[in-house]
Amino acid sequence: MQRNKIQWTNIAFQLGAVALALGFTTLVLLLADAPPLEAYKNLIIGSFGSTKKFSDVLVAWAPLMLATTGLLVTFTAGLWNIGIEGQITLGAIFTTGVLRALQDTSAAPTLILILAILSGMIGGALWAALVGALKTFGGVNEIFGGLGMNFVATALTLWLIFGPWKRPGIGSMSGTEPFPEALWLPQIAGLRLSIWSVVITIAALICIYILLKGTYFGLRLKAVGRNMRSSFILGIPTWQYMMASFLLCGALAGLAGAIQVTAVYHRLIPSISSGYGFLGLLVAMLVNYQALWTLPVALFFAALNIGSIQLPIVLKLDSSLSGVLQGALVLSVIIMEGVRQRFLKAARERS
Amino acid sequence: MKLHTLWRFLALLSILALVLAACAPAATQTPVQTEAQTEAPVATEAPAETEAPAETEAPAATEAPVETEAPAEKLIFGMLLVGPYNDHGWSQAHYDAGLYVQEKFPGAEMIYVDKVNPADRPGTTPAQLAEDLVAKGAKLVIFNSDDMKDSALEFAAANPDIYTIHASGDSAWKDGKDYKGLPNLTNIMGRMEYGKMMAGCAAALTTQTGKIGYLGPLINDETRRLAASAYLGARYCWSEYLQKDPAELSFKVTWIGFWFNIPGVTSDPTQVADDFYNSGYDVVISGIDTTEALQEAKKFNESGKTVWAIPYDYIGACKEAENVCLGVPYFNWGPAYLKQIQLFTEGKHQPVWEWNGPDWTDINNPDTSAVGFVKGAALSADAAAKLDEFIAALAGGLNLWVGPLNLQDGTVYLAEGETATDLQVWYLPQLLEGMEGQSVPSN
Amino acid sequence: MNVELIGICKTFGPVKANDNIHLRIPSGTIQGILGENGAGKSTLMKVLSGFIQADQGVILLDGKEVRIHSPADAIHYGVGMLHQDPLDFPPMKVIENFIAGSPGKIVPNSKEVIARFYELQQQFDFALDPQAHVDRLTVGERQQLEILRLLWLGAQVLILDEPTTGISSLQKIKLFETLRKLAAQGKTIIFVSHKLEDVEQLCHRVAVLRRGQLVGEATPPYQMDDLVQMMFGKVVSFGGRESYKPGEIALELKGVSIEDYRMRIGPVNLQARKREVIGLAGMEGSGQLLFLRACAGLIRPTAGRMVVNGKDLTGKSYHAFLKNGVVYMPASRMEEGLVPGCSLMEHFVLARDQAGFFVDWDGAKKTARDQIAAYNIHGRPDSTVESLSGGNQQRALLALMRTPASLILMEHPTRGLDIESTLYIWSLLKGRCSDQDSAILFISSDLDEILQYSDRILVFFAGRVSPALDAASISVDQLGQLIGGRGWDAF
Repeated sequence: MQRNKIQWTNIAFQLGAVALALGFTTLVLLLADAPPLEAYKNLIIGSFGSTKKFSDVLVAWAPLMLATTGLLVTFTAGLWNIGIEGQITLGAIFTTGVLRALQDTSAAPTLILILAILSGMIGGALWAALVGALKTFGGVNEIFGGLGMNFVATALTLWLIFGPWKRPGIGSMSGTEPFPEALWLPQIAGLRLSIWSVVITIAALICIYILLKGTYFGLRLKAVGRNMRSSFILGIPTWQYMMASFLLCGALAGLAGAIQVTAVYHRLIPSISSGYGFLGLLVAMLVNYQALWTLPVALFFAALNIGSIQLPIVLKLDSSLSGVLQGALVLSVIIMEGVRQRFLKAARERS
Repeated sequence: MKLHTLWRFLALLSILALVLAACAPAATQTPVQTEAQTEAPVATEAPAETEAPAETEAPAATEAPVETEAPAEKLIFGMLLVGPYNDHGWSQAHYDAGLYVQEKFPGAEMIYVDKVNPADRPGTTPAQLAEDLVAKGAKLVIFNSDDMKDSALEFAAANPDIYTIHASGDSAWKDGKDYKGLPNLTNIMGRMEYGKMMAGCAAALTTQTGKIGYLGPLINDETRRLAASAYLGARYCWSEYLQKDPAELSFKVTWIGFWFNIPGVTSDPTQVADDFYNSGYDVVISGIDTTEALQEAKKFNESGKTVWAIPYDYIGACKEAENVCLGVPYFNWGPAYLKQIQLFTEGKHQPVWEWNGPDWTDINNPDTSAVGFVKGAALSADAAAKLDEFIAALAGGLNLWVGPLNLQDGTVYLAEGETATDLQVWYLPQLLEGMEGQSVPSN
Repeated sequence: MNVELIGICKTFGPVKANDNIHLRIPSGTIQGILGENGAGKSTLMKVLSGFIQADQGVILLDGKEVRIHSPADAIHYGVGMLHQDPLDFPPMKVIENFIAGSPGKIVPNSKEVIARFYELQQQFDFALDPQAHVDRLTVGERQQLEILRLLWLGAQVLILDEPTTGISSLQKIKLFETLRKLAAQGKTIIFVSHKLEDVEQLCHRVAVLRRGQLVGEATPPYQMDDLVQMMFGKVVSFGGRESYKPGEIALELKGVSIEDYRMRIGPVNLQARKREVIGLAGMEGSGQLLFLRACAGLIRPTAGRMVVNGKDLTGKSYHAFLKNGVVYMPASRMEEGLVPGCSLMEHFVLARDQAGFFVDWDGAKKTARDQIAAYNIHGRPDSTVESLSGGNQQRALLALMRTPASLILMEHPTRGLDIESTLYIWSLLKGRCSDQDSAILFISSDLDEILQYSDRILVFFAGRVSPALDAASISVDQLGQLIGGRGWDAF
């Protein structure tokens, strides 16, 4: 009876959170003098309206999901890996570097691709290791270290695109010279989607899920994240585990960067990370760091990103509306969680 | 705990459900709604159906072939703008051209996406956005930036039914270095070289210090030849009309890194313009798509300094600060686009590479001239008269791309008496001798 | 100002921290408050200075009843309590700290304030630099600053809680001088301490608290034996102490010195043998915690050698100690011992060595069930540790200790537990001690516990460490005096 009641209040609060987010976004739309229903309708059609649209959503979903998966590891260790943007970028840079170095050799394209993707993972892991080292040995909080490294990564990308890797004769914001199609991850005919990016992403998610739920490593990481001091007293080498979580997250972020290069843009462009690192942070927060729930929520966020392109086309609205909705959603879930806690506490005190 | 997360998940699902529910009845009406204003429902559903195979409305789909045969007056064309549609620069010039086409060609309707660049629209490619426009019924898509070249090619190749126009590219130029030979890709560009010469001339006629700054975007063939044209115009007017020694004219180019300011990525054009004005350059010619140079000139002017600026791209650019604006060289894309759309509806379109010059009978004729120059309020009457003289000379066949001309590193570009070909101008490899600034991006 | 406390009661849950306390302190008196840890001294002072409110009772200041709701209220009535913990001070300059507390004005006239500051400081012969940063001051200097600040705010009653901890002997002399001067001016001084010597030197009167009650008052000349007995009560001697047969040396300390910012301990020489229990007695903060943590490798000693099971582990990490059979059980269970959010089962997996890459959850569940039964923990394998009661958390901590362990180090193994849990836990510990050849070192502030379970006792006082005393032959009086800092000349 009592339990049942609590369940219903929980549902009420969750629905409240959703209503709050939608209400807020609707308010923004009304203030912008736009028809809210029309806007929502276009968001849905623009993302799930056709096979092609849905495949475009998946194109965005794969790197976003990889970044989120990586963040699950650092969140488990109690770390805010803000530097993930830079790690995605470095993954892309390493991948591009290997592709450029090997594209004119006689090596098999498949081999080149595998090497490129692996070095992307190494690149991301190295960048994350720097943040981890700054934290462990330099006492620099990973948030500040990460922000700094993001900045450096952006500068590095621009330098490469306008400098050593510039297209023949020109430096252009459109990025480096595109790679020949043989060096793309094979795409499904007629779509931009590569089935490989989806396969890699799901494989990564499964691996991380098992790692976090079923292994000593995952359990210890969780302990370190929940209480570092107790974990140390229990005999866990805490800083090594934090470092390992950075490396793992960096490798996954690097993989996301590698996918951006080999399956999405087929070259290095200035903002190669597409902001998926920051978006991944939102996804991870929204699902309360539960590995499996990231899959549908990341899909939903990717759909918002893709679907929102309809807004400027049809309604002349700025497509940043999707960002408003995403942010409002996360905030209202957090707010409602706080309200729910207070409510439950008050209810307990009454009884 | 587990229950809790389950609810969390359900909540998220319910958002989807809510939104879906809200839209479900309306969803099937989409094609009707977008076109309802002009045509009968049955007829208008047809084009949309053919573009969106996932929409399953059997009866309409079967009607489709019948309807498309009918020569519907209506034509949707799409446009991808690299910057904001109202940037008072390059993108607005295109946007206004789209409005011009809508006005001149009954039945034409523009749809567009602006801010098509990786910083503003992360996670998308221009090709993808172009397909979104096609899904909304566009039969012809205009890519408005050189930076969209790869995407324009990819899109044109993947969508042979769609007529693709890439402004400022060379992929359809048979003699060009980068000819791709796609049957549905056309390149259109204005001969802004003339506009820049006029800008350079106006600057040279006005400068008190003999120092002209050129606020450049990124470095490529196009931007090099435009900066060089401005220099040629300035040098000509400096020596011919003012009888001064060309060696006393200083012309410096500073590149910011892109067509407009991207904080943290490009140099700040405001800062670059400031530096020019603070170091004795009293006229700044803008080569970028936005109007920072003009705004800074206004600010300096208000603080008592005598400086001027020449914006770029957009006919109305001077309005932001009339009293410091010497004039603006601008593109007028309307006539060229109108022509292509007319050809397309008649089925007579061919892949072409067009490099359209001014209409020398009236360079500011909105229906005929691809490139124009509007004199600004700050240009003195005397200078204006001399500029008119210069324009008349150009109309009469004066060509400044004639040797002897050396490249910046001193190598010969054009020998004595040699006239540059289109190829030589288009692919100008360096800045010219006498110009200060980078010729190629640094490594 | 005359201070009168009438029938003050304050309970925290089941604990009566203050139980009907009546105390009258006339103006111009230095009143000592004595008592062991947890006797209720701090609670009483917090009531008087407005940090907490009494459940019952009345406070009279100069015969007038007042209600004190906050420290600001207290200072308004003229009652001020000294802070000396560095964390209580915002990072400011001395003069800023001084100004920050100034009443009424939003923009104080700093020139005037500085003048007043110098005037006050001259009165007491202090030499504080108004422009110095507060966090650079020594504990003694912070005290001086606090005294000046409170006086400036108009305090008539000054409360000092353990003020002689962490200050130099010179500063102590100065402090006492100042307090006497203030008393002579008619201020009322309340001096809370556990140091018998300080109280004896300074106080005009002494009140002793034990277990929340006022058990006695005294005036000079003080009878130390009486005071000790009042503080600790009559310790009942538990008969039937088992005679122990110590084994080989589990831990040997050779001239070990330990330092932190407050005190310097040692050099200590000690041999702890297997099957032996050594109790570490002393008021909290006397150095026993530092000492125990050094034995676990959590703090590096500044000098000396540490040998565990014949292996020299000097300067090695805590984890190296752990590998060599040293287990450590901290007092703050949820902060240093257990991981909130993790279940009991997960804790058992964490505390044991890794077996393979994947966790055998079925096996873990079985282990957890066994341990839960063996240690009588009220909880399920999937209960999170924060959902357990304190006693169960403590038993869980015990269950988590690695076996076999040659050296078990514990902070307050039974603090806050009921008598039943205490007995149970000690039976387990004694069992491990004899069955598994472990040596046990434990800290307790409960003299009963120390006397009952220890074979030998180390007493700590302000960083000084006594030789290991035979628990069977030492008297309660002797121990109490040592804890209070008297009778150390004998060593």
